[in-house]
Amino acid sequence: MSAVEFPRLLKGAPPIGKRQTLAEYEANGGYQALKKGLAQTPDEITKMVLDTGLRGRGGAGFPAGRKWTFVPKNTGKPVYLAVNGDESEPGCFKDRQIIERVPHLLVEGAILACRAIGANTAYVYIRGEYPIGIRCMEEAVDEARAAGYLGDNVMGSGWKCDVWIHSGAGAYICGEETGMLSSIEGGRGYPRIKPPFPAVEGLWRSPTIINNVETIANVPLIVRDGVADWKSSGDADTPGTRLVGVSGHVNRPCHIEIDPAKTTLREIIFDHAGGIWKGRHLKAVIPGGSSVPVLPNKPEALDVPFTYGAVKNAGSLAGAAGVIVMDETTCMVDALLNLMEFYHHESCGQCTPCREGTGWLEKLVHRIWAGQGRMEDVDLLDRVADTVGGAGAGKTICFLADSAVMPTKSFIKHFRADFEAAVRGGGSPVYLARKARIDRKHASHAVGAAH
Amino acid sequence: MPKLTIDGRSVEVPKGTTIIQAARQLGTDVPHYCWHPGLSIAGNCRICLVEVEGMPTLQIACNTQCSDNMVVRTASDKAKRGRADVMELLLINHPLDCPICDQAGECKLQEYSFRIGNDRSRFDFPKVHKPKHVKFSDKVMFDAERCILCTRCVRFMDEIAKSDELDISNRGDRNEISVKRGGELESPYQMNIIDVCPVGALTSQDFRFKSRVWFLESTHTVCSGCSRGCNVTAGARWNKMLRLIPRENAAVNKWWMCDEGRLTYTDVAAADRLGAPMVRKDGRLVEVSWDEALAAAAKGLAAAGDDLFALISARLTNEEIWLASKLCDALGTPHRDTKPRAFGKDDLLRTGDGNPNSAGARILGVAPGKGGAGLANFASQNLAGAALFGEDLDDRPEAIAALQKLAFVLVVDSRESETMRKAAHVVLPGLTAYEKDGSFTNVTGRVQRIAPCVRSPGDAWPDWKILGWLVAGNDRGARPKTCAEVFARMAAAVPEFSGMTHGMLGTAGLDVRSAAPAQGSV
Repeated sequence: MSAVEFPRLLKGAPPIGKRQTLAEYEANGGYQALKKGLAQTPDEITKMVLDTGLRGRGGAGFPAGRKWTFVPKNTGKPVYLAVNGDESEPGCFKDRQIIERVPHLLVEGAILACRAIGANTAYVYIRGEYPIGIRCMEEAVDEARAAGYLGDNVMGSGWKCDVWIHSGAGAYICGEETGMLSSIEGGRGYPRIKPPFPAVEGLWRSPTIINNVETIANVPLIVRDGVADWKSSGDADTPGTRLVGVSGHVNRPCHIEIDPAKTTLREIIFDHAGGIWKGRHLKAVIPGGSSVPVLPNKPEALDVPFTYGAVKNAGSLAGAAGVIVMDETTCMVDALLNLMEFYHHESCGQCTPCREGTGWLEKLVHRIWAGQGRMEDVDLLDRVADTVGGAGAGKTICFLADSAVMPTKSFIKHFRADFEAAVRGGGSPVYLARKARIDRKHASHAVGAAH
Repeated sequence: MPKLTIDGRSVEVPKGTTIIQAARQLGTDVPHYCWHPGLSIAGNCRICLVEVEGMPTLQIACNTQCSDNMVVRTASDKAKRGRADVMELLLINHPLDCPICDQAGECKLQEYSFRIGNDRSRFDFPKVHKPKHVKFSDKVMFDAERCILCTRCVRFMDEIAKSDELDISNRGDRNEISVKRGGELESPYQMNIIDVCPVGALTSQDFRFKSRVWFLESTHTVCSGCSRGCNVTAGARWNKMLRLIPRENAAVNKWWMCDEGRLTYTDVAAADRLGAPMVRKDGRLVEVSWDEALAAAAKGLAAAGDDLFALISARLTNEEIWLASKLCDALGTPHRDTKPRAFGKDDLLRTGDGNPNSAGARILGVAPGKGGAGLANFASQNLAGAALFGEDLDDRPEAIAALQKLAFVLVVDSRESETMRKAAHVVLPGLTAYEKDGSFTNVTGRVQRIAPCVRSPGDAWPDWKILGWLVAGNDRGARPKTCAEVFARMAAAVPEFSGMTHGMLGTAGLDVRSAAPAQGSV
């Protein structure tokens, strides 16, 4: 089997480390979509996006065109577009390809989206750990402004539009859409309760549409090539291509653009990423970024197309397409501890279940990891996870608590033997060697029953 | 108007009403920490979970709007289990220091834990530790470990006090409320955060460790700090006032009061309280019986007659001011006035007028009459005597000098003063507003009851009784037995109070009958 990529978004993109300049982008058909879009009504652009069935690439997969129709009319308030490029989910680095290599595609998409939803201002929020990306976007915006694609008179149409780049500062929670809004406003990255929904009350209490970078980057292709052409890749469930990042124990960690309907998870791991490193076997894979349930090495989990629906049926979520691969030497307790440290550290602390629960989950996993757990701790961990959240549990304002619970429960479900081995003091050699190098930070809270 | 069912009972509510508000209409308290009727919705504590038919997950009652035909269950097994889960999580890092916590007895964490929580925890790790006694100011103390991060205090400062002095620092279970820029709280309303705090995280420097709250005798009364008349609940123990906390009154102070007003109760325990009547003999004030003092007062007043200057405090009650006016009417004197008193002023509650009953004094006509002298010019009018009801002139030495020249000076007051020591011939000990019955008319014209919170010191009398006896003179039958009786007589005579009784005023008050002297607003 050979790895087939379907470059649409990244067609003609320069290699990693190089940014496509305005001239290069224009030579590649850049800003033709904007010219076309300016001749159309906003509703016509929205209808095209609606007709493609483009689903949000940030992870939730909500139809982008439908979201655009939620903007209330005639509120007397400005409308904003907020583009989410925080890409803070562990395992995800797909948006980075667009931001660093083809930033003009994103700029053009943002302008078209503004046009469609009636906005004159777009904010592009970029992960603070992407300094190169921030620079690339700022350069692209400057070029576009100088060329008249942005500003008070976009391409001589008399219509006004501008794009601002906003840097994150390292918090995972600022990638949550409403946490991002709080951050853009200069506040703590606190997710907001809904209702009101951002489309009604978002940035500065004005209607705001929030889309992922990859979602917005698809808009110029739709407007330029038309609905039918854009839909020639993907299927009814997941139309269009998907950018995927593969990391972990593979021979060739990579990012790829695939036709999700024609590419299975197995092909992503074994063809595109060159298979498991060091001649080892696959043990587990997290397909959509660290928040989604882990899948074991079983045909029914791997031999499915990488569409939203198919991966869900296999027991996980395609999410933000960050495929994390783990080989046979991986101790799943070790891996889960890493995740729990992350979610505990990143919980914003607003909602009781997440603030208190993520710390408890980490402590429990750590106790098991440190060989100080009791056999009943494995079930306790599973039950405490239910107390904290779960897929669609809705116990908290945002999904962070659920994002900690989904891996926890799936790790126990598929790899209970690893947890029980750790309780008994055994486990894989890699894990045992790591445990022997136990660092002081862990030692400090690896304690048993205290009070 | 959506019509819905909550726990089997139907209720119709205005559009936009949330489940927690609709439940309150039915008298059902859905447990809550972060929600407060006077603050914006934060939705973070997650304890107000209820089951809504047709919704896959439990919903927070504080932010879920009622819709037509909604079926809500606040006490189903599912809802109770959801809340018990949140309770367990709230307590895993909460110190078990109720025995030494000031909030014990009025702590929502205790109450809901008892009502809906478990009696044991599955959590068996050391708790997260945070700073235990952080001085937010001279008025407010903070314990970060007890804090459940509901953000009521932050929202109060932002939204009500309009002084964004508080914020949250750090993240997750390391979150802490902190004073911005590391300073101390400065807002004149900061002590309200102690009241809105549902747990023992924010405590009053003034009240903490003085009494267990269940030992307090509570009295519904009104703050005497300014002409707003914020409704309060006074707490006293062993006949000593220990605190005032605001009491909800939508028409007056909503849920709040200012710090200055909150601390007015300390006047009650002042060291210079008067406890016995006195008459000046051989140049010195000596304690005498009430009979002797009242006789001396009546004689002096009669002698001064229409040449008496009466300074009638607007800190006295409506009943007392009315009686004082009656007394002046009987003597025929037009020389009547009040004394202005400064107080903080802002757009929230503080009116700038430190007299709690200025409107009452206005309605009852306390002002220089035709040809009458006032506070500013009585000294130059060649008068025969003066009566100071509830006031002193310690801040005006020249006025004291003028009093000293008069043939007769009566002082009715609750505290010693320079004025009294230098100029009084007769001193009758009265009471503070926290020791007697009566009513005040506030800045917007609301007539509100005050009530005794502690017993009077020594042999002091309520001012209405003193004045009632002076007005009655030798007619023993005309002496009022209760303050309510005085109010009834006043209500019969003064149109603004017509038809009112003490009973009708209740704990929320009534607006004066005619066009109220409306000014200021909450």
